[in-house]
Amino acid sequence: MGSESDMSSRVMLPPQVEVVPFGLVSSTAAQVVAANLQALLELNVLVVQPWPEPAHALVAARGQYDAGLILKDLAATEGAPLRLGLMGKDLCLPFLTYVLGESQLGGRAAVMSLHRLSDGEGGGRTTRHLMLERAAKVGLHEIAHVLGLEHCRAAGCLMKFSAGPAGLDRLRMGFCPVCQRELTRLKIELA
Amino acid sequence: MSTPLRVLVVDDELAMRESIAAWLVQDGHQVGKAEGGREALGLMEQREFDLALVDIKMPGMDGIELLRRVKESHPDVLVIIITAYGSIESAVDAMKAGASDYLLKPFDPEHLMLLLEKMGRQKRLMQENKMLRQRLAEGQMAGFEDLVGGSPAMLKVFGQIEEVAATEAPVLIVGETGTGKELVARAIHNRSSRSFGPFVAINCGAQSESLLESELFGHERGAFTGAVKARRGHLEMADGGTLFLDEVGDISQKMQVALLRVLENGSFLRVGGGDPLTSDFRLICATHRDLPELIAAGDFRQDFYYRINVFSLTVPPLRQRREDIIPLAEHFIAVFSRETGKPPPELDDKARQALLSYAWPGNVRELRNIMERAVIVRRGGLIKLEQLAFLEEGPKSGSAPLRLAEIETEHIRRILQAHQWNITQAAAILGIDRTTLARKIKKAGLRSP
Ligand SMILES: Nc1ncnc2c1ncn2[C@@H]1O[C@H](COP(=O)(O)OP(=O)(O)OP(=O)(O)O)[C@@H](O)[C@H]1O
Ligand SMILES: [Zn+2]
Ligand SMILES: [Zn+2]
Repeated sequence: MGSESDMSSRVMLPPQVEVVPFGLVSSTAAQVVAANLQALLELNVLVVQPWPEPAHALVAARGQYDAGLILKDLAATEGAPLRLGLMGKDLCLPFLTYVLGESQLGGRAAVMSLHRLSDGEGGGRTTRHLMLERAAKVGLHEIAHVLGLEHCRAAGCLMKFSAGPAGLDRLRMGFCPVCQRELTRLKIELA
Repeated sequence: MSTPLRVLVVDDELAMRESIAAWLVQDGHQVGKAEGGREALGLMEQREFDLALVDIKMPGMDGIELLRRVKESHPDVLVIIITAYGSIESAVDAMKAGASDYLLKPFDPEHLMLLLEKMGRQKRLMQENKMLRQRLAEGQMAGFEDLVGGSPAMLKVFGQIEEVAATEAPVLIVGETGTGKELVARAIHNRSSRSFGPFVAINCGAQSESLLESELFGHERGAFTGAVKARRGHLEMADGGTLFLDEVGDISQKMQVALLRVLENGSFLRVGGGDPLTSDFRLICATHRDLPELIAAGDFRQDFYYRINVFSLTVPPLRQRREDIIPLAEHFIAVFSRETGKPPPELDDKARQALLSYAWPGNVRELRNIMERAVIVRRGGLIKLEQLAFLEEGPKSGSAPLRLAEIETEHIRRILQAHQWNITQAAAILGIDRTTLARKIKKAGLRSP
């Protein structure tokens, strides 16, 4: 995963994706997500200065943040062509009890949360290593959506929908050949 | 992702409608949106949908009303009602009005996913059934594989056959005697990837425990008196194909344990020893008995039941699918006429009426036997009521038990006569084991001439 030197050599080029940490979210997680996007999708990725927590997206009654509203913020201001928000707090949608991540299909913005990624089986907590691996998977999955990819049914493919962390653990750190080919095509369109 | 569906999202709340729609598009579905019942019905006129997600609370036409109208005008569209927490009664109303399911808002993502998968499966089954019905209507097919019948009940069975044929899982076929369980088993085999392998059938009810054991497992030379040569058992013969255990409810607990071991270990020994053998077969079992009841009574092993009952498929009795009676009768008339070389006779009206109102305790097998006889005894080109052996006394469905017993006795007498009192043959045709037949003969006081 990207060392300091090759990260900085890339930043010389204008970034294609900005990873936007919200509030006090783990900066290691932000770096790991960025490095994986860079390695697997071959995009220039920059982790920017944290944004304040999006207070207006808080759904007070549920104690969660509305992922749809955060996407609007991320898409609204100037910056890199694509943006991935990284939250420490739990995300939801008006019709879903929670989401691990959410994105604008073929749009500009995606957002993900680390909140549930440390959940282990039977209520315990997992290792930090596994949490980071899951975060990388969610980041890749959401950014691939932003690039225009829909869900895939191939076993183990990163584009397979997983409702929770257990589902993520069944995915490989990679895309199936069909999704891979589609991604290459979509990235050419992006460039 | 589940099977891609064409989904119509109906919700008056913009944010809700848009976010559900966006999520479904990401999941690979084709999505339409409507903000009310009227608009939804309009869209359904223009485009085809598989599924409608309908919010129950909308101004004007509410969700339940829309559901009713959709079920009238587009009965094939599955409807899921979305309701808020705390209004379970309305969810119940929705189910009564024909909703396929309901979702409590906000829903759990895992649950939504499973529900979409379920709807996808349901849709596929509906499509298969529609195709089958179409083929039936066009006369391209009088049924499915060797099974005659176009009743909704049988179409459902055909759909299930197709579904299980695509898997390797054990299947349990349940149904009264003579309903066609063996034909269903053959159809599953023929439609499966094992169709090039053997279909090996064995009737477990018709033999003693030791005979069944050596039939199934085979035996080595000298394993018991009379075993002069080593013999392959049915388990070995079914290698690469399908093993069909008919009347599985009749096998002893000891044999259940033995078979369970084979299913768990994949290997077995012939009676009398030798090397362990393996065989790769798909298991299909059939029974006319109520196995859960046998389990409760301690006569059938639960662990064995779980093994054989991964998929279960019920073949309905003939009296529950009366639409099939005449097509079946005509099918058998054609079959037996072919054998006699004469042109097939037709059923006159009274004969038809009688066939349709009879209770059919022996199901299709009984119908087949009646038709076989009728083809022989009729005069001219018509089969008349008088030639339908069992209907002479005109029993109606739900006739008194005594009547049924009389019919059974008469039926047994005829079958015995037709087969020169060969008990084995008669028992096989009647679908009961020899001991049962012997008991019935004794009880009815029948005597060979
Ligand atoms: N749908 C059908 N179309 C044509 N023939 C049928 C159909 N159903 C049953 N039959 C015929 O009826 C007879 C009885 O069928 P089958 O032996 O499959 O019944 P079964 O349910 O296995 O009976 P049992 O429980 O007594 O073993 C057979 O001759 C079979 O060919
Ligand atoms: Zn996704
Ligand atoms: Zn894929």
